[in-house]
Amino acid sequence: MKVKAIILILVSGFMAFSFTLNVDQPKTPWAVPDAAKNKKNSVATNAKSIAEGKDLWGTHCKSCHGAKGIGDGIKAPQLKTVPGDFSRADVQVQTDGSLFYKISEGRGDMPAFKKKIPDADDMWNIINYVRTFKK
Amino acid sequence: MHSSLHGSNKVLLTTKENLMNIYKKNLSLFPAVFFLLVLSGGKLFAQDSTEAPVVTKVKPVKNTFGSVWIMDNQTVMVPIKGTLEMDIQHRFGTINNGSKDLYGIFAPANIRIGMSYGPFKKVFVGVGLTKERMQVDLNGKYALLLQTPGKMPVSVTYFGNVVIDTRNKNNFTYGVHRFSYFNQLIIARKITSKFSAQIAPDFSWFNNVEGYVDSKGVIQYKMHNYHFAISILGRYKVTAKSAVTAGYDQPLTQHPTNNPHPNICLGFETTTSSHAFQVFAGNFWSIVPQSNNMFNQNDYTKSQYVIGFNITHLWNF
Repeated sequence: MKVKAIILILVSGFMAFSFTLNVDQPKTPWAVPDAAKNKKNSVATNAKSIAEGKDLWGTHCKSCHGAKGIGDGIKAPQLKTVPGDFSRADVQVQTDGSLFYKISEGRGDMPAFKKKIPDADDMWNIINYVRTFKK
Repeated sequence: MHSSLHGSNKVLLTTKENLMNIYKKNLSLFPAVFFLLVLSGGKLFAQDSTEAPVVTKVKPVKNTFGSVWIMDNQTVMVPIKGTLEMDIQHRFGTINNGSKDLYGIFAPANIRIGMSYGPFKKVFVGVGLTKERMQVDLNGKYALLLQTPGKMPVSVTYFGNVVIDTRNKNNFTYGVHRFSYFNQLIIARKITSKFSAQIAPDFSWFNNVEGYVDSKGVIQYKMHNYHFAISILGRYKVTAKSAVTAGYDQPLTQHPTNNPHPNICLGFETTTSSHAFQVFAGNFWSIVPQSNNMFNQNDYTKSQYVIGFNITHLWNF
């Protein structure tokens, strides 16, 4: 009985640790070239753009970043690269150009989407949708 | 059993006769014409809009379907240049034997493994290996028209293939008898952000068809070398990544014997950035389109459905 209790505690502890591991993991700074940072968003934020961005988010981003962009997608626990919480101020203060660069180029587990999403307008639609995550 | 090529004149005459018969007798064309009217309906009604005009860049509609496949048929979709796709397709046996073979799961299955690549814009070419009759297919797809708001109401894509039956040479009188061909014009429209539909007339040709010697010693053919058919398919997105799909394939050509049965199919699809997964039930077992359209003997009135799935993986280079 005592052995079973110890095993149960260890398994519970391990599971709890697994779910919280990425959240507290320190982030590595992601440098964005100035030219990319200052790139202007050519798609106005409106209902159509947000709807299209949401559709693309569902296909390309949701499985890691989650439905609300808080980094809780079904693949997130398996990732070594922190998906991040896009509702937080440190993400929302970044320029549209910075987000465009990061989505395009990728890093670590984050794939580069410049070939998968070659139309810049689609990328801007995703960014316009990411702005709706702001708390 | 005898095998031979038909003479080309005979084929042309028979084709004309068949087309006349189709117009006179085959009611299946009427749903197809109705379907085409539905496809163009959105365009007609859109002209009644009273909204103020907004000047925006007009681009072709994207993601009419979730994959190049929709169950047993190709979709109008042509992936972007530089896309490499791997297909894994599986069809179990018919479900009508019940628990005897666990609804076809333990019955002999058909499998296709394929690779395709987009070397140019609007072009997709591929090769596949199918277990049934050890067929190797070389296929190509070209996007002829793209649905564009205010400019083009539908997308139109051509799909064609050449299939080589690679079984032992004892199965063939001549090497050319190994070949069969398929040509299809796919017309589709993304009617709403959630609902897309397509209609696709197609033409199959087999260099070799089965024959027999009748009581007068004359060679008779069981089927024509050619076969016309038409498919109607739809997809409705239930979530951002998931959709339900439904379709119907109607044979049009009347053969002397062994007329193929139509295909009714219903399925579920889920797509991600790099994958599409489709699971469905339908009457087609063959995977290779001309084999499905010409030789399908699974009858939906006898519950001869098979469970099938398609898995695709995409890489972008």
